[in-house]
Amino acid sequence: MNRYSIAYATLFGLGCLLGGAANAQQEVKQDPWAPSREAKISPVTQSQLNAADKNSTNFLLTNGNYAQTRFHPAKLINRDNVKNLHVAWIFQTDVKESLETSPIIVDGVMYVTTSYSHVYALDAKTGEQLWHYNHKMGPITTYCCGPNNRGVQVLGDMVYLATLDSKLVALNAKTGDVVWKTDIADPELGYSETMAPTVVKDKVLIGTNGGEYGIRGFLRAYDAKTGKLVWNFDTVPENSVGVWAAKDATGRDMHRDIQAEKDQLAKNGDPYKKLGGGVWQNPAVDLATNRIYFVVGNPSPDLDGSLRPGDNLYTDSLVALDLDTGKYVCHFQYIAHDVWDLDAVSPPVLVDVKDKSGKTIPGVIHAGKTGHIYVHDRKDCSLIRFSEAMVPQENMWVLPTKEGARMLPGANGGVEWSPIATDPGQQLAYAINLHQPMTYRVESSPYPNGKLWLGGAFTAIPGEKQSGNITAVNYDTGKIKWQVKTPEPMIGGILATAGGLVFTGEGNGKFAAYNSSNGKELWSFRAGAGVNAPPSSYTVGGKQYIVVGAGGNVQVNFHRGNNIIAFTLD
Amino acid sequence: MLLLGAGPHAALADSIADKVEVCTRCHGQVGKPTDKSIPVIWGQQAGYIYIQLRDFKRGDRKNEIMQRIASGFEKDDMLAIAQYFSQKPWPDLGQPRSPKDVAERALSAEHSVGCTGCHLDHFQGDSTVPRLAGQSHEYLTKTMNDFRTRARGNNPGMTDLMLATPPDDITALAQYLAGL
Repeated sequence: MNRYSIAYATLFGLGCLLGGAANAQQEVKQDPWAPSREAKISPVTQSQLNAADKNSTNFLLTNGNYAQTRFHPAKLINRDNVKNLHVAWIFQTDVKESLETSPIIVDGVMYVTTSYSHVYALDAKTGEQLWHYNHKMGPITTYCCGPNNRGVQVLGDMVYLATLDSKLVALNAKTGDVVWKTDIADPELGYSETMAPTVVKDKVLIGTNGGEYGIRGFLRAYDAKTGKLVWNFDTVPENSVGVWAAKDATGRDMHRDIQAEKDQLAKNGDPYKKLGGGVWQNPAVDLATNRIYFVVGNPSPDLDGSLRPGDNLYTDSLVALDLDTGKYVCHFQYIAHDVWDLDAVSPPVLVDVKDKSGKTIPGVIHAGKTGHIYVHDRKDCSLIRFSEAMVPQENMWVLPTKEGARMLPGANGGVEWSPIATDPGQQLAYAINLHQPMTYRVESSPYPNGKLWLGGAFTAIPGEKQSGNITAVNYDTGKIKWQVKTPEPMIGGILATAGGLVFTGEGNGKFAAYNSSNGKELWSFRAGAGVNAPPSSYTVGGKQYIVVGAGGNVQVNFHRGNNIIAFTLD
Repeated sequence: MLLLGAGPHAALADSIADKVEVCTRCHGQVGKPTDKSIPVIWGQQAGYIYIQLRDFKRGDRKNEIMQRIASGFEKDDMLAIAQYFSQKPWPDLGQPRSPKDVAERALSAEHSVGCTGCHLDHFQGDSTVPRLAGQSHEYLTKTMNDFRTRARGNNPGMTDLMLATPPDDITALAQYLAGL
C-alpha cells in the first residue's frame, strides 16, 4: 500500500483463544443514550452469500458479492429520480477519525466499523443504534496510513472483525458479545489489520498490513466456528527471486541493475523473511472453481531495492489459491522489484471478459496504482490487456535517488486501496484515481525490528497541483469511456447500481451520483467531512437506500468526521 | 471516607511509584521537564514510551542515563511505566503559538512528507507514534535534527523523512508543533 504520507516474524501462530461471555460483556459498550438492543436477523447462510449478487435487499459482502463487482441490483433509485434523493438518517459514531467502512446490511440491520476497530449494529431503516462493540485495544499497535477499519462480514449468527492490534474477533451478530478472539500476529513487529475479512465455506480469510515495517506477509484461513487456523499462505515464498524481469506488465523497462542484484543475492541470500507483501483488501472468490484471487502489496523496504535482490515474489502481484487448501494456483506480477511503492492494493474483481481473440472467458481485473486497469485470464492469471492510463504518467520508471527523482504517478497512485465497481452489462469498470506529483528518494538502512522501514521517502512536490478523477474503462477494449475530473485526489471507493448510476465521494465532502454510461453528474450532497469510504445499497420497507461513511481520511489528510449517512427517496 | 488503592492494587501502584521516582528528577514532578532538552512524557502515548524504554535497554537508542535506567526493567515494568505516564495530564509548557508565516511553512513541509499520516491530524499520535503537539521546542528541534544526522538511530523511517525535509522547514515545524 503506501503512505506517501509518512512520507511510512515471529508470529503467535494459533495464538490464544479467548472466549466466553464474561470477556465479551466488557467490550459491548453500554452507551447511556442508546441501551443495547438485540439485532433481529436470521442467520446468514452460505447460500445467501453465494447469491449476494442478485440480492437487492441486502449488502452482504464488503464489495457486494464474492466476485467483488460492487454492482447492486436494486433500481428503485435510478437516473430519472435520483435528483430527489435525500437524507434518510445520520448516525454519528463515537470516533471522529478516518472512515473506510463498507456498510454490511442484513435483514434491515446494518453493521459498520470505525477507526480503532469499533463495530456498530444499526437499524438500517432509522439509523438507531442497536449495539456497540468497543474493542479493548492492546498496548502496542503499529500501522500504516491511519487506524482504519474497512468493515465486517456476517456468516450464520456471527460478525467477523479484524482489529488494529492484529486480532481476529467473532461477535454474536445479535448482541455484539465476543464469541471467540484469536491473535493473528505480533503488532510489535509491524503487523496490523485494517481490512474486512471475507467469510466463505466456514473459513474466515484474512491478510495483514505491515509492508512498511519489514513483515512477512500472508493470507490465512481461520475456522469460522472456532477461530483455529486452517491454512496459511506466505505471500513471500522462500524462493522470492523470480525470473529477473526487466520490464513491467506494460512492457516498460524498470532500469534494474540485475547483475548487482545477483551479486547481492550470492552474498546475503534470499531476503524473504522480511520482504513485506501485505494484503490490504479482500480476496474475490470464484465459487465455480473453488479459487480465491487477491493482490499482494509492496516489498520492504519500500524504496530501497539494494537490500532485496530478485523479483521479490509475490509482492505487487495478483495471486490465486485453492480455497480449501491455500495451495498456490497461479500469479501475475505487475512490477518486479518495485522501488516506487506502486503496488497492488485495490481488490480484484471477477467478470467475464473478452480474450485477445474476442472470445468471452472468465476474467479477473485489477486497478493498479500505476493508473492502469489490468485484465487477466482467470484460468492462469495471465495478462490479456491493460487499459489506457487513467492518470498522468511521467518519467516511468526513473530510479529513486538521494536527491529525489520526479515521477508520476505519485506513490498513492492511480488507484489506491479504493475498490472499483463494474457494470457487466456495459463492460465498464469504474475507478477513482489520485494525481499527486511526487519525488522518490532512496536511503539505505538495515531492518529496524518492526519500525517504519521505507528505505527513503515519497514527497509531494510543493506548489504542484494535485487532483483526482472518476474514470469508466471498457475492460474488453482497455479504452476510457468517460472521465470526470475532481479538484482533489480521490480515495475511498465507488458503487454501481442497476439504476444506471455510480455513487462516489470526495475528500471535500461532496458525495454524488453519476450516469454510469456517460459520467454526467445527476445529484450531489455535501457531507461536511471527507467522503472517503465505499458506499453500499440496500432495500428495506419497500425503499432503496444508499449509505456511506463521511469521516475523512488519514492518508491524504482529508477533513475528519464521524457520520454514517443513509439516503433514500420519498 | 473512601480509601482508594487498598489491597493488591495498592502494592502494584507503590511498585510503579517506586520505579518512576527516578524519572521525576529529569522529566519533572508535575510533568514539566527540568531542562528544555528533555521531553515531556506526562500524557505521552503509552506504546511510544514502552518502545523507547525497550530501545534504550537494547541499545538501539543511545542515552547514557536512560540506557542505565532502562537496563533494569523487564517488559512488564516498561509497559506499566508507560501506562502510568500516559495517564497523566499533558503539561502546558507555555510555549507561544507560531506566527502565521512560520505555521504556513510548517504546514507546507508537513504536506510534503505527510507527518499526519502517522502522528494524525492534530499531532496527538497514537500508541507507538508519539504526541508532538505542545512538546518542548528545544527537544523537537534536537530530535528532528538527530534523526537527520542519524545521531538518533532507532527509527530509520524518521531519518528518511527528516533527510527529505530541508533544515529551514525543520525549524518551522519545531516552532509550530511546540505552539500547538
